[in-house]
Amino acid sequence: MKKNERVTLLVVIAAGISSIVVQLITIREFLAQFHGNEFVISLILFNWLILGGIGTLVAHLITPRYWEPSSSRLCQLSFILAALSVIQIYSIRELRDFFFVHGSSVGFYPTLAYIFLTIAPYCLLIGFILPYSLFVLRAKTPDYSGTRIYITDNIGDITGGALFSFALVFLVTPLKAIFIANLPLVAASFLLFSFTGKQRKYLKIIPGAAITLLLLAAGIFFEPFSLAPSEGKLVHYSESRYGRIAVHQDNGQHTLFTDGVPVFSTQNQSIAEETIHYPLAQLDNPQRVLLISGEGGIMKELKKHGLKTVDYVELDPEITAVQFKFGLIENIEGLNVINQDGRAFLADSDKIYDAIILNLPEPDTFQVNRFFTDQFFSLVKKRLAPDGVLSFSMEGYDNYLAEPQRQKLSSLYNTVKNHFKHVLLMPGLKIFFLCRDISIKTDIPARLAEKGIIARYIRGYYYGNLTKKRISDLNNLMDPNTPKNSDDSPLLMRLMFSQWFAKFSSSPVGFIAALAGLTIIYLFRIKREEFVLFSTGAMTMGSEILIIFAFQIFYGYIYFQIGLIITVFLAGLLPGALLGDRLREGGKQILVLTDGLLITLMGILILALKMGGDRLPSFFFLVFGFMVSLACGFQFPVALHLGGGGNSAVTRSFSADLIGAACGTLITSLVFLPYFGIIWATAGLIFLKLASLIVIGTPKLSNFLRRYVLRS
Amino acid sequence: MKTISRRDFLYYSGALLSTAMFADVCRPFAGDGRFISGLDDIRGKVFKNDAPKTLWKWSHEGFLYDKLDDGKVVCGICPHRCILAPGDRSVCRSKVNINGKLYSLAYGNPCAVNNDPVEKKPLFHFRPRSMVFSLATTGCNFRCLNCQNWEISQAKPHEVRNHELFPAEAVETAQRLGSESIAYTYSEAVTFFEYMIDIARLAKEKGLHNLWISNGYINQKPLLELCKVLDGANINLKSYSDDIYRKLNGGRLQPVLNTLKTLHEQKIHLEVTTLVVPGYIDDEEMIKQMCGWILDNIGPDYPLHFLRFFPKYKLDGLPPTPVSTLTRFRELAIKEGIRYVYVGNVPNHEGNNTYCHNCSKLLIEREGYFLPTYNLTGNKCKFCGTKIPGVWDNSASRRD
Repeated sequence: MKKNERVTLLVVIAAGISSIVVQLITIREFLAQFHGNEFVISLILFNWLILGGIGTLVAHLITPRYWEPSSSRLCQLSFILAALSVIQIYSIRELRDFFFVHGSSVGFYPTLAYIFLTIAPYCLLIGFILPYSLFVLRAKTPDYSGTRIYITDNIGDITGGALFSFALVFLVTPLKAIFIANLPLVAASFLLFSFTGKQRKYLKIIPGAAITLLLLAAGIFFEPFSLAPSEGKLVHYSESRYGRIAVHQDNGQHTLFTDGVPVFSTQNQSIAEETIHYPLAQLDNPQRVLLISGEGGIMKELKKHGLKTVDYVELDPEITAVQFKFGLIENIEGLNVINQDGRAFLADSDKIYDAIILNLPEPDTFQVNRFFTDQFFSLVKKRLAPDGVLSFSMEGYDNYLAEPQRQKLSSLYNTVKNHFKHVLLMPGLKIFFLCRDISIKTDIPARLAEKGIIARYIRGYYYGNLTKKRISDLNNLMDPNTPKNSDDSPLLMRLMFSQWFAKFSSSPVGFIAALAGLTIIYLFRIKREEFVLFSTGAMTMGSEILIIFAFQIFYGYIYFQIGLIITVFLAGLLPGALLGDRLREGGKQILVLTDGLLITLMGILILALKMGGDRLPSFFFLVFGFMVSLACGFQFPVALHLGGGGNSAVTRSFSADLIGAACGTLITSLVFLPYFGIIWATAGLIFLKLASLIVIGTPKLSNFLRRYVLRS
Repeated sequence: MKTISRRDFLYYSGALLSTAMFADVCRPFAGDGRFISGLDDIRGKVFKNDAPKTLWKWSHEGFLYDKLDDGKVVCGICPHRCILAPGDRSVCRSKVNINGKLYSLAYGNPCAVNNDPVEKKPLFHFRPRSMVFSLATTGCNFRCLNCQNWEISQAKPHEVRNHELFPAEAVETAQRLGSESIAYTYSEAVTFFEYMIDIARLAKEKGLHNLWISNGYINQKPLLELCKVLDGANINLKSYSDDIYRKLNGGRLQPVLNTLKTLHEQKIHLEVTTLVVPGYIDDEEMIKQMCGWILDNIGPDYPLHFLRFFPKYKLDGLPPTPVSTLTRFRELAIKEGIRYVYVGNVPNHEGNNTYCHNCSKLLIEREGYFLPTYNLTGNKCKFCGTKIPGVWDNSASRRD
């Protein structure tokens, strides 16, 4: 291998490292800035892939016809790419308040548009650089293998994924990670330029490299300023493995933000009193209480009941440390802090509680949804004393219960009613569910007075806010026909999704219809081999989304694991591509076989989920991801070989893979999962692969279909 | 020049046309005041061709409107002055133009009906401890990002479950429940003006009081008509900045100030509420200016309530207002000269209570909706005999 070629391949690897680290940090940044959920992750991946695909197509269109490929241009582009990564993260942070009202949440279309806008420059360029590198190599070696570039890129991607997931996420802040991940790119580009053989080359390259490095370093220097809040001051910031934690101090009040959402605040007496006293007022002599997640001021209220033990479960140890540090949670007698997933704790523990109090946000992520499912309530029932009480809350309303929220509460009511004889909803700014097997008392102030407990907010406001009429009106509105919520068919998620759209008076239908229209046009323009790559790309990313969601459902956290999942989904591509390159002469039969393998893998996933996904080790999902990506990587060189292997075939194949991946991401997360649940989503991906099998396996049939559809 | 085949032409045309479907996606970038210009102004727009084909039983001809050419009408109730072509719906979502006539679709169909303590409105100087029959239909002429009642204020009449309660029945129900007053509240009563004024006239005849809880975004003419039957009002002065009004609420400041002046001139009992939103309405200088305007234009006697903000609706990324900010604003407003300044949404705060502006003694202690201490005799301070502004009576043990 010539020196120049070797260094060009180094640039490709370094670009791969940069792209994956930047992608993962971008996802985390959006999660923190947009109260991100899995849908936001999908939108980022979708945009990323589409823009990458466009960049690839642009490279094909303008190179080499209008823009002679050269190593020096590749170097310049690489410097720009490295610089854009810092600009991208700053854009996400700083432009939010420019485009949207500060402090406000953002609807579907503006989120989609904002993601597109902020990541477009970087993604277009990263999509451009990969085929451009190949054209640079082909300028000197015309028959240079496209597969080789694909494999080299995969090496970079895997290295980037591993670097982030196993080191950077634990050790450094986002902008430091960006700096570290882009150093190899700057170095490799510098090296490549030194081989261009041009005179006075260093006069050009040194300023370029210096400016890029300066920008990357400036990113680190200005990072603290970019995190400073508009209100009050930032007194704590950390990136825990589960999310971004920030504490803002404003005029004596401390507010804890996780992923950009204010979750706990000192000085929130009303919520603290309602959360604790509504359930504990039901019990004559409560002794053991389990609290899953907390709220400012609740320990003070718990103390009033003279409890023996309070087990306080909080997943993230950094959150509890911050809560104690800033007085959001007080240390009371009998308090045990347990840093574990609440659901996993209940499954492992054999303790029996008088009261289990959930203090969780709305179930708009799979992580939270799993605390409101049939399976979870069944688990809770086993850990409650016979006269014990379960309490949890949902966002309330002032004077009118809107329909999507009514459906949400009804689903929750029907789900929990399956396990408790009595379920009562208490209206207010938060709606509290009280669930037990003996009757529920509604005169909370009278009960507290009997017990000699003073709760001044409840005493003053309860009778004005929770009249008998308001309580009965709310409970009478529950619809017994609304289906229940379960782990694998998360109805609450879908209803939250509808509520989100209702809040912004919009609907995803227009977007999905437009996308479907464009996809159909695209599908009739591509070759059979490209369709295989399209469907495999769709299936791979669809599976990746499925695994991300499955992780949320069964293990309850994603912020940290997302790097790991994305890495395993990349890890298989390299050995797959190497193997495929060797066996590419097998042609269509090989594609048919791997399609069959992918279908089998998805079938195994369905069986495993049906048999009990929560009992599967996380290792299973990671191996599954690796196998899927192995098959995907395997198919690429084979399809490329069938397509002829020329420049046009390379870009068309890359594009088919990327566009398929983008479609798979979106359809799985926006349509399959929320509307059909995880099992049927998997079945949907099998169906897609079956279509590919038909297309590649029965050319006559597919030709007939193509002609028929075109004619009609 | 290279020619393209018919098939290619069809493909490219199809691709081009299908991009039109992305219009919805691209809308945020367009200049319709939602994405870029949305930063400065979130005012609502007329809903074109959104009116129902026919009227329903809860329709009523508009109280005040003018007919224009081509069957168009202009609504005269609020400063938006919506110009509606036949088939259009107003900004507030309640008014429609059907065949050249303006109709309200919010008449006799309240979607929220409750019997509340008067303190909940909040009205602290209007017949304390009395109960108020409160009702609302859908609709609002604002677009507040932090709306507490967005489920009804940002909905159209046909989108909600509703009661049927025509004016006579509303008054009858209020009497049956033992309420002393009827409050037009929750969403925005200006948008169901026709329904409100008909109930209010009947209520007045039957000896009930009328309370208007509003953003005050109303034109002078309908307001004067309302004042004829109005007993008390709480106007939400959302900020003292026109920019913030446009940015957070989708309205303008001046019409609200005009409303405050009119209510003062018409001698209607008035209380003013300001929600202190961190980062927007927590500027001391602005609060000083606001107090200055109040003192210059309506005087020191009208109670002013500073309410604590909690993340809600679309404005859910801000922290709650620090209690110390509210305490400071209360002190500042008192120092500026406003006599009765309260702190709301903070239980057991000193600012929940009423202190005599002359002798500073505790007149009314409030623990939520309970009033454990009541030191007024008629409308005078029990200690120094100073007349306390407001509408009082002696039946201090009514609700408790």
